Amino acid sequence: MSLSLSMNFQFTTTIEKLWSAITDSNKLAKWIAENDFKAEVGHRFQFRHQPSEWWDGIVNGEVLIVDEPNRLSYEWAVGQEKQTVTLTLQDLGDGKVNLHLEQTGFSNAQGLEGAKYGWSSWVVELEKMLQQ
Amino acid sequence: MSENNQFRDVFDAIADPTRRRLIQLLAEAEETPLHELTAQFQMGRTAVSKHLTILKEAGLVLDRKVGRETRFRLNAFPLKEVQDWVAFYSKYWSTNMVRLKQLLEEEEE
Repeated sequence: MSLSLSMNFQFTTTIEKLWSAITDSNKLAKWIAENDFKAEVGHRFQFRHQPSEWWDGIVNGEVLIVDEPNRLSYEWAVGQEKQTVTLTLQDLGDGKVNLHLEQTGFSNAQGLEGAKYGWSSWVVELEKMLQQ
Repeated sequence: MSENNQFRDVFDAIADPTRRRLIQLLAEAEETPLHELTAQFQMGRTAVSKHLTILKEAGLVLDRKVGRETRFRLNAFPLKEVQDWVAFYSKYWSTNMVRLKQLLEEEEE
């Protein structure tokens, strides 16, 4: 079973521009946070968000997959939580590009790392139940 | 808060596929006796019973004795914690995507 947060977003742009927006450090700063990101496998980076009541804002990462302009994957660690974020780009034609986001590897809140949950199918069931 | 004395983490309770299946089965019915639940699994009555105990400890399942049988009922409320937790990431990305969209539009100009 697939174990992830899974979301799709559509943009009116070209696949090359979208690729640049998700890999160029200056552009990433505009839509995620200040960073030292480089699209190179093995590169370690940090996203530095504004600290909030949720967390200190620091995301430590390591680039896992660079397949320009189709797929980018990185490890993403927030505190004790370590997840994998995978971005898949797909040209839909007519100037539209789909960005598929998958974030996997959720562990439980107490830091039982490795425990994974079947979000994609699970959340649907969950929502149904909570609506009852 | 749940009326149950919740002393098990809800994330722990749903980490197991059998327990997720049990939640699903209980979500489809008002109240289900143990033997009906057991019939849905390859494992025996004792094993299913152990899983139900874990769900009970997380406040996800309520039980009630009717004559000689025990009937189980779902209490989905603690799952809210799970939903809130995932919703954080979902909201995080949605907010970022709005900004990404703006960025791409700016470039067009």
